[in-house]
Amino acid sequence: MRSLNDCKLYVITGENYHKGRDLLEVMEAAIRGGADIVQLRDKDAAGPELLEKARALRELTRRLGALFIVNDHPEIALAAEADGVHLGQEDLPIEAARALVGPDRLIGISTHSIGQARAAERAGADYIGVGPVYPTGTKPGRPAVGTGYVAEAAEEIRIPFFAIGGIHPGNAEEVLAAGARRLCAVSAVVGSPDPAAVCRELRALIERAQLSAPLPRTGGGRLAKTVVVNGRAETTDADTLQELAASFRFGEKLVVAERNGEVVPRADWTSTPVGEGDRIEFVHFVGGG
Amino acid sequence: MLEPAEMEERYSRQIRFAPIGIEGQLRLRDSAVLIVGVGALGSSLAQQMTRAGVGIVRLADRDYVEPSNLQRQSLFDEEDARAAQPKAVAAAAKLRRINGAVRAEPFVTEVNANTVGALLNGVQLVLDGTDNVRTRVALSDACFARGVPLLYGGVTGSEAMSAALVPGETACLRCLIGGDEAAEPEQTCDTAGVIYPAVELAAALQAAEALKWLSGNRSALRRTWLTADVWHFRLREWTLPEGRANCPFCGGGVRKLSGWDKPFAAGGRDGPAAALVGGKRAAVDGDKLRAAGGTENPAVPREAGGAGAAAEERPPRPAQRDADAPGNSHAGEPEATVLCGRDSIQVTTGRALSLEESETRLLARGCVVTARNPYLVRAVSPEGERLVLFEDGRVLVQGTSDPERAVRLCRMYVAAQPERKSDNGGEADAELERL
Repeated sequence: MRSLNDCKLYVITGENYHKGRDLLEVMEAAIRGGADIVQLRDKDAAGPELLEKARALRELTRRLGALFIVNDHPEIALAAEADGVHLGQEDLPIEAARALVGPDRLIGISTHSIGQARAAERAGADYIGVGPVYPTGTKPGRPAVGTGYVAEAAEEIRIPFFAIGGIHPGNAEEVLAAGARRLCAVSAVVGSPDPAAVCRELRALIERAQLSAPLPRTGGGRLAKTVVVNGRAETTDADTLQELAASFRFGEKLVVAERNGEVVPRADWTSTPVGEGDRIEFVHFVGGG
Repeated sequence: MLEPAEMEERYSRQIRFAPIGIEGQLRLRDSAVLIVGVGALGSSLAQQMTRAGVGIVRLADRDYVEPSNLQRQSLFDEEDARAAQPKAVAAAAKLRRINGAVRAEPFVTEVNANTVGALLNGVQLVLDGTDNVRTRVALSDACFARGVPLLYGGVTGSEAMSAALVPGETACLRCLIGGDEAAEPEQTCDTAGVIYPAVELAAALQAAEALKWLSGNRSALRRTWLTADVWHFRLREWTLPEGRANCPFCGGGVRKLSGWDKPFAAGGRDGPAAALVGGKRAAVDGDKLRAAGGTENPAVPREAGGAGAAAEERPPRPAQRDADAPGNSHAGEPEATVLCGRDSIQVTTGRALSLEESETRLLARGCVVTARNPYLVRAVSPEGERLVLFEDGRVLVQGTSDPERAVRLCRMYVAAQPERKSDNGGEADAELERL
């Protein structure tokens, strides 16, 4: 399965933007264009209808190798074998959702301020949405938070965040310049007659931003590096094992960490550097007897 | 004690294994191990140590046998579950049938900072069969403070882990996983289940290291943290770091391995192994433990009907706790411990319980007694919870995960004066103290 850490472009369904065209057709185009994580959001459908859509999207994303998230409904996420569930600030608390979906499924949450972002990271969210950066028809009535919040999140938040809200190829560079490295789009993609082309454009902008400059986030010149975590190559800007653990949601868990073949005592995580090419494993402590 | 010829015959295959040989076999005979927790891992560990001919196998466990244990806890059978036998006692009985030359010493007790000292007395090695982090960290602290190696083992689902934690050589468990702030794992055997093959793998890894350590092959010890999964087959092994300089347990300035460079068992230390030198198999070890219990710390466990020690031979328990004893500052106050994921609370009343009086009391207060043996009384309360009263003053309340409710049930059914529903907490405390 694709790792969340690899995901750069998040596309959410919005069937009202493509009346007359099939949901699966539009989403397949988006994925083929470069969306690597997609979310089913449908405030009108419920129960069997929603589950049917979820199952169809699950099959599509599995076939094309994208992650699949269900908005609002942990039970649908479970029944459709989605990779995770996305919550709003007014939905189920993260802890409650975690109890439902278990430790392995992803939980994402929309945040609109750095305070909400911190709370989400603490509560064990796997990723957050940061926005709305610009006013958007998808969320009418919610004031835009601007790129200022994107910069704050880039500075402080260690779990992956996706900038969202009114983002399209015309303003994406501004969002990336504020420090975003992952974008989410709805109407710009699914409302376009050529979703694949829009995704290709957005993806190219993200990749260019990544290449052009180290992340602008810290004064200390934090550099992205590639490390192997639990057997997978991952890009991270964590400087220490503690930061790396936090970005994988292991920060508060009872896990044993190993770096390049040697166990690292828990108390040394904050002083253990993470360098390019390091091989790191986190395993849950096994405690039954 | 086996005659030399008998010993050579009995252990012939093990002796023929070159790294052990007859010398290693004699060292095993002169050794003493402590196994903490006699559940799934503990059963397997105890059996392997006993079959291998380790001289003294000391067992400490706070629990009793239930039907749900039988799938993986290899020393127990349906009769043990029916009789609600304490695990340490049931295990010792089986071990004696497996190898009569080995001294199996059962202790029905919680293992904590108060009790661990006496249990460690005279052992060369501790084998971890516990099921929770709190006990493991306390055990690691005690082992490193005394220079006794701890062979950690753990199992959940289809996963097994094991590591040899050696004072003076490796970091201690507190450093490796975090100390008091370490959370219990999210998944335990009670939530994620466990399959028996994973148990046997973890126990085999521990037992192999134990044989090396005890038979004089210390340099062959695997100084790694090993993690394995028997279902999605995987095996990974990582080097263990040295002790952390500023750790009071494994740091540089602290006590190294006790007897690391001394001859086995004949080091003159006051443990059970010393008592075995020269073939004398006196039960002084048990007496010493009991004596320690009477003078140093009343919370010290006492042997549960060990070999040849019939119930009536037991010395009387200390009549009351010494409130000034270290670690006893809360004497008389019940302490509730949530047994993770088991819908059980352990309430420590702080003083010994007379099982006979307790049984009478439980019956008089409307409980149904479902098991009674020399070590515990089990009853069902009118509310439907199960209360298991142990002689050492612990009450296992099964069927609730609410500590306050568990303490309240103890006040209603275990205390000498029952708490009436309207009683306030203060009066109840006083009553519990009169247990």
